[in-house]
Amino acid sequence: MQKPAEEDAQILLSLLISKSFTLTAAIEACLSHLLKRRAAGFLRSDKIAALFTKVGKVYDTAGEVCRKVQEQLQQQADLTRRSQSVGHEPLRRQGSSTTSRPPQPLSAQAIKHIWVRTALFEKVLDKIVQYIVDNSSKYYEREALMHDLVFGPILAVLLVGPCALEYTKLKTSDHFWTDPSANELVQRHRIHGAHRGQDTSAGRRPALGIRKRQSSGSMSDDRFAASAREYVESLHQNSRTHLLYGKNNVLVQPKKDMEVLRGYFSLHQAGDNLTLKWTPNKLINGTLGDCDLEKSIYWDYALTVPLRQIVCIHCHQRPDCGGTLVLVSQDGIQRPPLHFPPGGHLLAFLACLETGLLPRGQLEPPLWSQKGKGKVFPKLKKRSSTARLIDQDRNGEEPTAADYVFRIVYPGYRYDANHGEMMEMQGFGGSPSSWQQAGVPTLESQCQSCSTAGSNVSFDYPAGCTCIHDPLDIHTIPLKMLCQNMKRQIVSRAFYGWLAYCRHLSTVRTHLSALVNHNIVPPDRPCEASGGLSKEVWSKYQKDCKNYKELELLRLVYYGGVQHDIRKEVWPFLLGHYKFGMGKKDMSQIDAKISERYQQVMREWKACEVIVKQREKEMQSAIFAKLSSGSSIDSHVLRLVHRDSTLSNEVFMSVDEPDAGSQETPSGEDSTPTMTTLGPPAALPPEERPLVEFDSPDSGLPSSRNYSVTSAHSQILSSIDDGQSTEEEGGGGEEGRTSGVLGRRQDSLTEDRLCSQLDKLVTNGAAAEAISPSLSSYTIELLDTIALNLHRIDKDVQRCDRNYYYFTTANLEKLRNIMCSYVWEHLEMGYVQGMCDLLAPLMVILDDECLAYSCFTQLMKRMSQNFPNGGAMDTHFANMRSLIQILDSELFELMQQNGDYTHFYFCYRWFLLDFKRELLYEDVFAVWEVIWVAPRISSQHFVLFLALALVTVYREIIVDNNMDFTDIIKFFNEMAERHDVQHILKIARELVHKVQSLMDNK
Amino acid sequence: MAGGSVFECKEYLFKVLVIGELGVGKTSIIKRYVHQLFSQHYRATIGVDFALKVINWDSKTLVRLQLWDIAGQERFGNMTRVYYKEAVGAFVVFDVTRGSTFEAVSKWKHDLDSKVKLANGNPIPSVLLANKCDQKKESSNNTALMDNFCKETGFLGWFETSAKDNINVDEAARFLVENILANDKGLPYEESNGDRIKLDQETVAAESKSGCC
Repeated sequence: MQKPAEEDAQILLSLLISKSFTLTAAIEACLSHLLKRRAAGFLRSDKIAALFTKVGKVYDTAGEVCRKVQEQLQQQADLTRRSQSVGHEPLRRQGSSTTSRPPQPLSAQAIKHIWVRTALFEKVLDKIVQYIVDNSSKYYEREALMHDLVFGPILAVLLVGPCALEYTKLKTSDHFWTDPSANELVQRHRIHGAHRGQDTSAGRRPALGIRKRQSSGSMSDDRFAASAREYVESLHQNSRTHLLYGKNNVLVQPKKDMEVLRGYFSLHQAGDNLTLKWTPNKLINGTLGDCDLEKSIYWDYALTVPLRQIVCIHCHQRPDCGGTLVLVSQDGIQRPPLHFPPGGHLLAFLACLETGLLPRGQLEPPLWSQKGKGKVFPKLKKRSSTARLIDQDRNGEEPTAADYVFRIVYPGYRYDANHGEMMEMQGFGGSPSSWQQAGVPTLESQCQSCSTAGSNVSFDYPAGCTCIHDPLDIHTIPLKMLCQNMKRQIVSRAFYGWLAYCRHLSTVRTHLSALVNHNIVPPDRPCEASGGLSKEVWSKYQKDCKNYKELELLRLVYYGGVQHDIRKEVWPFLLGHYKFGMGKKDMSQIDAKISERYQQVMREWKACEVIVKQREKEMQSAIFAKLSSGSSIDSHVLRLVHRDSTLSNEVFMSVDEPDAGSQETPSGEDSTPTMTTLGPPAALPPEERPLVEFDSPDSGLPSSRNYSVTSAHSQILSSIDDGQSTEEEGGGGEEGRTSGVLGRRQDSLTEDRLCSQLDKLVTNGAAAEAISPSLSSYTIELLDTIALNLHRIDKDVQRCDRNYYYFTTANLEKLRNIMCSYVWEHLEMGYVQGMCDLLAPLMVILDDECLAYSCFTQLMKRMSQNFPNGGAMDTHFANMRSLIQILDSELFELMQQNGDYTHFYFCYRWFLLDFKRELLYEDVFAVWEVIWVAPRISSQHFVLFLALALVTVYREIIVDNNMDFTDIIKFFNEMAERHDVQHILKIARELVHKVQSLMDNK
Repeated sequence: MAGGSVFECKEYLFKVLVIGELGVGKTSIIKRYVHQLFSQHYRATIGVDFALKVINWDSKTLVRLQLWDIAGQERFGNMTRVYYKEAVGAFVVFDVTRGSTFEAVSKWKHDLDSKVKLANGNPIPSVLLANKCDQKKESSNNTALMDNFCKETGFLGWFETSAKDNINVDEAARFLVENILANDKGLPYEESNGDRIKLDQETVAAESKSGCC
């Protein structure tokens, strides 16, 4: 009785493991094996349901699953009842799974296995099964699988793994997330990668280095593995090729001083092409592991010889052993002798070969057919026939009629170019050279026999045999010519190989030399730097700052970062606010200077802000005054459409227009000082007027009128003192907003005139304050620009890292001040999204408005280049492209193949924000420091290497999933803030070092 | 395997763009639509973000919308060109409380039409979203006006939406998908609807890319 139960169990377990059975079904089979027949409920048709319900009553986890299953079933029932209307997405979120899943019709299969599925998805199946095992006596017969002392627990343990996985986004019919999340991809990769040996990172990833793409020798491991598998498969009969002949235990001595190897010798036909293969047994037997198989040196010895390359076949037969076969190529190169075991195998092979060559080719001389015996070796007339017996074999003494030379001829087919054919020497599996070298000593004797053979044959050689057997050569300079030929070929091959390598290296150098510093600063000299810049070292520096070497400090930062406590002190140095070696006095002087400047800038833009707001308010009220006078809508729409083209003119026209209507003056007291301070930034040269911006839709700078009108509506610009988030204001503080969208539409009809009046008014006002008229003409634009920028800043400041503890309303206000000040000083660039992200970490560390302002200004010297007008982004992309092309050609090819990928837009955010969005705050600090010091230590373009490190870390996932442009952006977006930053920094530093060493060995 | 499944589904994948000025609530609309969530805590989008929404359109049709949330201040002409590629539909969003964002609508629309087209050369179907309508003080009767604007600018239609109060978001999406389906530019691809839990990589790799032309 016990016996069959055990067998059952084993079958079930093997089912569970085998792929042919779904996991859920297998588990159900295990669970329902020999449930207690008499126990209540188990007579029901759905035993699993009964079991789960039963367990659920006493075990909470199972109870939870039961509840969820019921819920789902209920939804299914609802769904089927309801018509299949679309868009019924109930608000209720289902279960505790990470994504909200509106109910969807489940497939029959899904419903069938709903219990196990649900438990699996909830990641509690292992616990429930464990519980069942622990209490198996309650539910199972004695012989049941679950009751078994061994198998029950094994099942429970086996389920721990599957239960650790995310199933929320699996591609099943009842799921909507058919794309696996980045998290899941990484998880899968870990599982998957484990199969390939522990040393995935080092072993499988092609080493960073120069890769000759064309040469087979440097094939990447991956591809080689694939080809290895393919190769072994190719030895069998398959749809593409016919196996004409196969013989095992054919002996070959691949190298002179090597043991003789046994192998499988086979003849394949694919279309018109015949191929001879010899594969060492070691590769076929499967005695090597998968991993070793790929790496095995035996690949070097395997032979693959296209028969086209073979002109002669030498056969040597000895009575004591089987036969020996030597293949001779057109270029005279001999393949290693193949020793057949005794028993007529050589003849059998030749017979197969002869058949295979038909109809186009044939053996010369042909084999003879003998009645009853089949094919036999031809009987040859002494020394007069085409193929004659060679009475001198290598040892030379035995005059047995056992050696033959067969030529392979293709009547009616002529080789056009000897050399062309000869050069394609893909003959040997691994490297041809291994045999070539070994072949050299025997070459002479071989050639001799060949050419002597030729000489006897005299002039009747058919066209198929060229090169060596060319009658002219044979008669004039037979051997010398051949040897010279070969020498030339060998030398030229070597030369071209070398030349290609040199060219490649020079490409590498031109591409990369500008990217790294050429002197390498080591991590361990003068002392180990991985500890970073500690508090102790820093205070030593502060005590003796004259004698401390700046470079040494930077080296510490580069290899180990800055201790968090002293970041506030160190960062201003790293960013260039202070200079290393500065005394206390100098430092406070700088602080004072910066502070003064900051206050000044603040005053300037705040004054301007007041005017901007004033202006908006006035325009708003003016608009409402005019609101009653409606006019045609169409004209407005028309205007909207044609706005772009006319916009720039309108600004000026409005200024010049003399028919000013309303005479309100801007509140004089504020405007007076403002106008004067407007001087410097207002001096935008006319060509820098936002014309550039208009070609892109978002550039947004709407006409002065419209913008002002509408921004007045929302009162976006918070005043200096009330500092409230504009969102609230937008909602609440506008008593003036009497109309919605429509109202605004109508407003705009009158805008033209109205605003021009207002503009005029402002200009007039300014003029009245005795400001030069040329200046005043820019003023309106300036105000527009300011208004636009302030508005954008406000939008972004409000939503800048609101989840991070530091950004309270007060600190956001500081952030806004700094940002406005910076933008005020750089109006030509204006505020661009992302700037807030760059300022925020500085604020967090420095926690000082003025200092942060200064450091931000310093930081932006480099970063502003990445923003749209800077042009550095394209350079980054181009550099990434060449780096990947050179360092990881496989990945590069994938990118090429997937089209748009090469735009490298997935790096856009990385470069724009120095990886700020990719990392957690603490990690941002660590990465930024390294980026800042890197130009002095290793590379001006350290960000490139960071980017490369990120790509490197996930390259397997990218390659395995064959990610395209969208996939990779999506993947990295989802991976944001999940990276192991120290690992990535380490890889980035190694990458720099690698490129540096590449430059080094010129 | 298909035998085990109840529904023989035609599955479509549509790439849909969501564009408009910065801060008009593109991300919020998407999050509302896909996750039924609203939060004050979204950050400014830099570059592009994605979300996927799967709709059981009818018993025979499964539609997967790949929503491209493109940063409002995307000033790289080239970048939008690449982002727009192969899109089959678009939402252009503006903020009803800020007229300037409405001004920009026609610019975005123009940018869109100049950079991406359907296979037959027609502009891709696009819908105008007047977002944050919950913040609008009073509703004036602007329907005719907006209808006219849409006609002139080439929008299929417009919706007053609120991501915050979940107003009209689903409706707008359904409207767009209807039009995309009517264009029938998506090449349907059959999916095997087996119920097996597939842990192997091939399923993912084999998954076909965008079905549009």
